[in-house]
Amino acid sequence: MTPTLTASPPELREALYALSIAKDVPDAALLDDIVRRFPQFGGELTNFAIAIAIDALHGDAVVEAAEAALDPNVLSPAVSRAMSRFQNRLHAVSEPTRLPAATDRSVSADAINPFASLSREDFRGFARRLDASSVFVAKLRDRQIEPDTLTPGFRKRVADDLHAPLDVVVAHFAAAQAGAAGPQFYKADGKPNNGGRQTFEEAVRSSGLSEAQQRALLAL
Amino acid sequence: MVRTLQKIGEDGPLVRPDAVEAQIDAALTLNPQSLRARLAITDPRDADHLRSETLVHLVRHGRRTGDQGLISLVLPVLLARCEANLIVKVPDGQLPEAATVREDILGEFSELFASDGTGKDPDELDFYECKFNRAFRFFRIDVVRRETGLLKHVAQMPEPDEDGEPEPHDEVFARVSEAFRSPAMQDGDVFRSELHDAILELPPDERDAVILVHALGYQEESDDPGEETAATRCDCTGRTIRNRLTRAATKLARFKEDL
Repeated sequence: MTPTLTASPPELREALYALSIAKDVPDAALLDDIVRRFPQFGGELTNFAIAIAIDALHGDAVVEAAEAALDPNVLSPAVSRAMSRFQNRLHAVSEPTRLPAATDRSVSADAINPFASLSREDFRGFARRLDASSVFVAKLRDRQIEPDTLTPGFRKRVADDLHAPLDVVVAHFAAAQAGAAGPQFYKADGKPNNGGRQTFEEAVRSSGLSEAQQRALLAL
Repeated sequence: MVRTLQKIGEDGPLVRPDAVEAQIDAALTLNPQSLRARLAITDPRDADHLRSETLVHLVRHGRRTGDQGLISLVLPVLLARCEANLIVKVPDGQLPEAATVREDILGEFSELFASDGTGKDPDELDFYECKFNRAFRFFRIDVVRRETGLLKHVAQMPEPDEDGEPEPHDEVFARVSEAFRSPAMQDGDVFRSELHDAILELPPDERDAVILVHALGYQEESDDPGEETAATRCDCTGRTIRNRLTRAATKLARFKEDL
């Protein structure tokens, strides 16, 4: 298979959706048909049909059982963070032309989010350079860390790495979490405090980082 | 009347299944309290259970009308279902950072709703109002393949040069084909899960040959130059396909004992 390293272009996505939507498990007739419609993606479609067929072996009955077992009163941390990403993206889409203001120290959710414009690869690259996990960087992006607990050295490191003014980074961390004016999305495994934020140390300790990585971040 | 979909398929605009259309019509009339009660139903066999297709429509409706309350009520429920799906389909141990990948998928998916109606593909979510599980399957596999593409750069090994015509392995592959043809049932899931893992462990060339011939139903090769076969799909000869199947059959031999 040929690995796809970046998000698939729209036309390829269209072709792959068409293949995935048509049947539970694709067959030769379907693949031939879709390849006729999208001949430029013959190889990708073949690889994807194979991936779908293998995936179909992992029974949907198990998925249905997992969905049926959900507790509707519990919101998981992962869902909570996904809601934050939704709100951040919504904000970015709604105000795409807003310019960074270095003096903006507002604690409203309107502060510039220097992470919002990062592409997926940029986001990953930032995490690598910081020697941290994506989960930890997502907490930075989603303002899930108590701003007062972040060390000055850490804030400066983030600002330098993002090539953003320190004021903007500080204002971002200090701003209210997006969507905080509306319903709150709390971690399900603990009582929330101050909008569900963790201290810097808690965030470092609970992001799947090695001991060495944790020490390095906390020492900044 | 529910808003018609904009995405154009091979036969014109996409159309929701009738049952989805009817449920959306009814769901749009629910007050918040009734909607909350319906959202709390997780058993899909319950007549009042709201389909994921319906939830997608409700979130998009909230997005279009600026109804943040509706979004906040419905989107977390939909994302929780997606998370349950991901825990099964992208389990810990399958990828080095499975939890991070699951989180990426969930986050990227939530962003689709924020970007709905904008960008290069403003109607992408139309697919999810027609066949949610199959559309989400694409989304999930697409991200997982990108992630595994970053991790695996397997050097292509030279194809072993085997003399003579490979032996057929009908017994092994009869069971494999049957697993792909039969619908997934709870009691057959152990076998299918083991087969899934065994197929994933095959070298990519052998895995592709097995799936193309025994899951998708391609001929190994054909005398008709216009016919697509496993050989044409893999851009190799029919003999190469048979050699790959022979090597795969040896590795999958234990599955014939279940016949």
